[in-house]
Amino acid sequence: MADTAAAPPKPSSSVKLVLLGEAAVGKSSLVLRFVNNDFQENKEPTIGAAFLTQKSHLPHRTIKFEIWDTAGQERFASLAPMYYRNAQSALVVYDLTKPTSLVKAKHWVAELQRQASPGIVIALVGNKLDLTNEDATVSREANSGEGADAVGGEVAEEGGDARKISTKEGREYAEEEGLLFFETSAKTGVSVQEVFTAIANAIPETQMKGAKGPGATGAGTGQTALGSERVNLNQRAEGAKEGCAC
Amino acid sequence: MFTFSSLVQKAQSLIDPSASPSTRNSDGSPSKAALFRLQFRLPDSQTPQHEITAELSLSAPHSSRASAQGPKEKQKPQERGTTYVGKLHLSESFLCFSTQPTSFHHSASTQASSAFTGQTQGAGPAGNGFTLPLCAIRRVERLQTPNSLFALAITTWNGFTALSGKQGNSSDAQRFTVQLAGSRQASERFCDGMKKGLRDGVKEVENLKAVIGECYSEYLLSGANKAERENALLVNGVKEPPDAGLGMVFRYPGDAKKLREQSKMRLWREYLRDNGRNATLIRQPTFHKLIRVGLPNRLRGETWELTSGSLYIRLQKPRLFTDTLSRYSGRESLAIDEIEKDLNRSLPEYPGFQSEEGIGRLRRVLTAYSWINEEVGYCQAMNIVVAALLIYMSETQAFFLLSVLCDRLLPGYYSTTMYGTLLDQRVFESLVEKTMPILWEHLVKSDVQLSVVSLPWFLSLYINSMPLIFAFRVLDVFFLEGPKVLFQVGLAILRINGEDLLDITDDGAFISILKTYFSRLEESAHPKSENEKFRAVTKFQELMVVAFKEFAGITQSTISEQRAKHKDVVLDNIESFARRTSIRNLGPESKRLSMDDLGFLYDRFYGILYEREQRIQVMREDIDRRAKARNDNATELVTGIPGNSSIEIGRVGLGPSPTLMNYDSFREFLAGITRWAITDAPTSHKDSMSERASSVYSGHSGRGRSPSLSPWGAGNSEPADHDFMQRLYGKWNKDDNDGLSLQDVVTGLARVKGTTDIMTSISYFFDLYDDDHDGKVDREGILRISEALLFLTRRGLGGSSVPSSISIASTLDDGVDPKSSSADERFLGSISAFIRRCFEYADPDHPQNQSNNLTSSPNTELNISMDHFTIGDSDSEGDLLDLGIKPTLLQQFSPSNPSPPALPRRTSSLSHTQSKSISKRSANIALDPSNPLHITLPTFRMVILADELLQQFFESAFPASFHLSDHPAHSHSQTPLTTFSSPTPTVPAAPRGGIVPPVKGLRGVLDNIVSDGMRVAGEVRKRVDEAQREMERSALQRSETDLDDEEEKGAYGVEADRRSVREGDRELLEGEEAVVGVGRGGSLQVEEDLLGGMDAEADSAEKGRIEFER
Ligand SMILES: Nc1nc2c(ncn2[C@@H]2O[C@H](COP(=O)(O)OP(=O)(O)OP(=O)(O)O)[C@@H](O)[C@H]2O)c(=O)[nH]1
Ligand SMILES: [Mg+2]
Repeated sequence: MADTAAAPPKPSSSVKLVLLGEAAVGKSSLVLRFVNNDFQENKEPTIGAAFLTQKSHLPHRTIKFEIWDTAGQERFASLAPMYYRNAQSALVVYDLTKPTSLVKAKHWVAELQRQASPGIVIALVGNKLDLTNEDATVSREANSGEGADAVGGEVAEEGGDARKISTKEGREYAEEEGLLFFETSAKTGVSVQEVFTAIANAIPETQMKGAKGPGATGAGTGQTALGSERVNLNQRAEGAKEGCAC
Repeated sequence: MFTFSSLVQKAQSLIDPSASPSTRNSDGSPSKAALFRLQFRLPDSQTPQHEITAELSLSAPHSSRASAQGPKEKQKPQERGTTYVGKLHLSESFLCFSTQPTSFHHSASTQASSAFTGQTQGAGPAGNGFTLPLCAIRRVERLQTPNSLFALAITTWNGFTALSGKQGNSSDAQRFTVQLAGSRQASERFCDGMKKGLRDGVKEVENLKAVIGECYSEYLLSGANKAERENALLVNGVKEPPDAGLGMVFRYPGDAKKLREQSKMRLWREYLRDNGRNATLIRQPTFHKLIRVGLPNRLRGETWELTSGSLYIRLQKPRLFTDTLSRYSGRESLAIDEIEKDLNRSLPEYPGFQSEEGIGRLRRVLTAYSWINEEVGYCQAMNIVVAALLIYMSETQAFFLLSVLCDRLLPGYYSTTMYGTLLDQRVFESLVEKTMPILWEHLVKSDVQLSVVSLPWFLSLYINSMPLIFAFRVLDVFFLEGPKVLFQVGLAILRINGEDLLDITDDGAFISILKTYFSRLEESAHPKSENEKFRAVTKFQELMVVAFKEFAGITQSTISEQRAKHKDVVLDNIESFARRTSIRNLGPESKRLSMDDLGFLYDRFYGILYEREQRIQVMREDIDRRAKARNDNATELVTGIPGNSSIEIGRVGLGPSPTLMNYDSFREFLAGITRWAITDAPTSHKDSMSERASSVYSGHSGRGRSPSLSPWGAGNSEPADHDFMQRLYGKWNKDDNDGLSLQDVVTGLARVKGTTDIMTSISYFFDLYDDDHDGKVDREGILRISEALLFLTRRGLGGSSVPSSISIASTLDDGVDPKSSSADERFLGSISAFIRRCFEYADPDHPQNQSNNLTSSPNTELNISMDHFTIGDSDSEGDLLDLGIKPTLLQQFSPSNPSPPALPRRTSSLSHTQSKSISKRSANIALDPSNPLHITLPTFRMVILADELLQQFFESAFPASFHLSDHPAHSHSQTPLTTFSSPTPTVPAAPRGGIVPPVKGLRGVLDNIVSDGMRVAGEVRKRVDEAQREMERSALQRSETDLDDEEEKGAYGVEADRRSVREGDRELLEGEEAVVGVGRGGSLQVEEDLLGGMDAEADSAEKGRIEFER
């Protein structure tokens, strides 16, 4: 797995990305779509967190995403710091058909802005776009298909519009907080690839870790899942050193 | 050994003749009971009653000759039977025996034990022996022994569902002997206890029958072979095999052949035949071995149930599951929403959970559990665990097993803060550090967080980490040996992969090595070995060996110690996380307060809720020492986790703690951050202001004022109870919840304190009194406002840190700073003027009704004011009432005396008091309902702004009277106010009378002005319909005492006392019963008598049971 040491033709670097958001908004499904271009109707809830990697090829470099997909249920929230520490990017996901999920997403954004690495790139993602029929310009058949990734169009669900959170609302909030913003469907694949590409592009090269994160060495000593204070301190220290570390 | 133990018994009989559990619990050694329960996996209701050393003799298995004996079964001298020496224990409804004197639990050993000296680590029934429900005993005979020792032959109901017909020949009946090795006295006592238990057990035979009817073993053993079984089916009516899980319909995971199902089944059938099944099973070494090699599919659920002890809980409440479902049918909850979300997401690859049948079962089990344990509700991962259980057991069985999991085996894992999970991760880390220092160091160096991988192992019991069939093998041992198994397996995984792991440099690599490992558990551990036997060993087998051999030293007490060690850090972390998050999420309003203030409020808010919870708990504890509820102190000892320990209940980190502040907590909260919210007269003063106020204004009052148990906790001053506080509470409680959330409090305070704008402040105040939000405050409201102003400033204007009455006093005494006191004095004048102006500028509701006496309201004659002064002076309600309802008095008020109240001076304070009273009185005139009037916000504003002091009050003094982080709430615990339980009113700040006792001098006068003014204001309104309210109140109080638990949360002493009395009665009765029982037993002195009695007892019981059976 430690392929990061190898030097491929294109400069390659890895980016730690964490997914946060209410339970069942489709975090794992987004990852599955991104990593395997697949979708499972009944995805088991994530327990604690899952870890996956996927390479993303940009014109001038290759980026290896180290993805931490976390559990969404409220009571797992206290575990999150363990996963988002040192993360350079985050996907905060909500479900377009569930208003509460945006509230939760906002909480996560606030937490990340305060507690995660400074300069973390955050993308706000409204998922399950396939359940809405907004600008239903595209044929309905697309819905049943596996949906090639990154098809530009939106797809309508037969049942009509289940959307509860308007694009405007999401976008405005994202702009306010300086987040990337997307509406996706893990089911059809709409915009999923774009999210990751945008994140890759948004991360300044200097922020990438060549092999693995500097700093933080020795920090693991005896901390629990929840070394919140500690994490915070580390990150500050690391943030300061980041430039010269690689 | 025998002599020693008989000594112990003797000593015990001296120390603890009654051996009743109630006496024992109160002497602070509850751990014994918990250890005992854990050792034998008994329900929480069980306590150790008697214990005695004994020898268990099992007869030679009769089936060993009949069916071909497995070659491995070469244990002990089988032909002659087997003998075990161990301890025999008796609880209320169980007879237990164990040979296991395993590692001793240190902390428990030091405590004075009365009936359980069991050497156990809470690891579960690992030793040889049995856990026999008394209702499963069919007959007890006393045997003749040469050495006159007690020997009892016990016959059980083993297999009685199958044996009801002719089939039940005597050799089939399970019969074994125990020889008691204690003193004769001890043995006799043991037998007496047992007799009683047997008698009580009769009622449970029906339950037993129903419960074991669901056990597959009954079906399995109903015939020796297929033909016979079919025959037996016809004879006994055992038609269908009981539900052994979804696996019966959708197949069990794994290849039956590879799992060697058939031979396992054969071995088990033999074992069960020889050693009893389900409720009557006797554990011998083979039992443990059979479990280690993996349970056969159809017996798996039943055996889990047995080894975990959930069978015994089911036995006690066989209908709990179905009852719960029907009781809550149709109800909704957050947990149910969460469950619904995950139903389709539980072991989706297993066909059973793609069917409505499987999903339905899962739904019912999770939902029912969420109702009986609302504290846990539903936690993701439970769906996976329960889904796994349902493959092997019925819904009912899974339900009870889940509750054993949550309560005992995985304490705190699924709670809302998941502290158990986090704690065990910390424990696991420290065990890795201890046992594999090099690996640990490497992980630390590489900044890999172990819990990132290990957390799901523990949380979902390896079920979604390993392939199912292997995870189930781990579960087999886990249910038998307890939580330590999870640690042992985890350590073994790391040990086996140690070398590879030493090469990794990040989390990703770490995870992928283990993923690969898990996916290859089936493969050979030594694929390249020459030795074929070696090659046949799978990685999983290797894992088991490493886990249980190499890490045999990891015992339950290791875990407990570690848990105790790390508990605080983990809880602190959870709490600081919770604090951080919740402060951040307090909403936009909170931005008006500083971060420090928010932090302060958070601590204060939860501090109060926590302390209150504690106090309630302490009171409760007093009350129901003997309640069946699990004994959490003991749980803590055993698990190292404070469970719902009384010491820490309500602690945020432990999970669901109260998050709403009721009115009483709110008062306490205010008393901590403002000076005005502290009562002047603690409730031990019969006639206290707050009591009056509350009894008049509030439905919250009258809930008992017993000073014996302080609802405010020692060292806390008692909060006042004033109309203003109630209004504030109501206003802050926007959503009309059962209480204020932190958010409500923060928002509320942000509005009051976060603004320096006087206009906002004024209109805020106005709104408080505009009950119907029509922009008008009526006569009543004006009075209330003036009352509130007096109330808020009775300790002085502004936020000086010394209560004003004291500062005034001292300044007066020293004559240093007369200004400050005169400011306070002047404020009284301002209020007076305020009332006057209000009425002056008030708009009449019905102009035509406006009578002339209104216009002149603020003016009265001296005689009346004197009159009123007497009122203020008087403590007698009768007087006040009398006065209040005398309309003639009102008529006496001269309507047209335009003299304004004298400007208060220090020297003229008496006259000021009068004018004060006067204005109140005049307000009283204005109370005439035939002259409704009101002021509007602009009027109110104008009146306020017309007065410099009032303006100042609204501009700064009022907001500043809330002390947050910048002015840490003065520690009122140091003021003498706190000793409110002291019977003597020594408190200078709590003046009660109207007329100034001469000794008090001027300072007393001032004190009294303030309080008198307030009293007057109070009385004026009170008179309006005192009589009627009086009636209402008494009615209210009467019904209130019987009110719901909600009310009890107010932690009022009286309520608590009442309960304790009732509870105490019950306890006493029960204690009596126990004493009687023992006394009777003790009086049977002739051995023959006892013998006869014993048999008779057993016989009668037997008859009863046989009848039951039909
Ligand atoms: N229609 C639709 N359903 C989706 C989409 N993404 C996910 N789902 C479904 O939503 C459910 C939850 O998806 P998950 O990916 O497991 O959600 P999660 O956010 O990882 O949930 P947790 O792990 O519990 O936090 C699954 O049943 C998915 O099939 C989508 O884009 N469209
Ligand atoms: Mg997930």
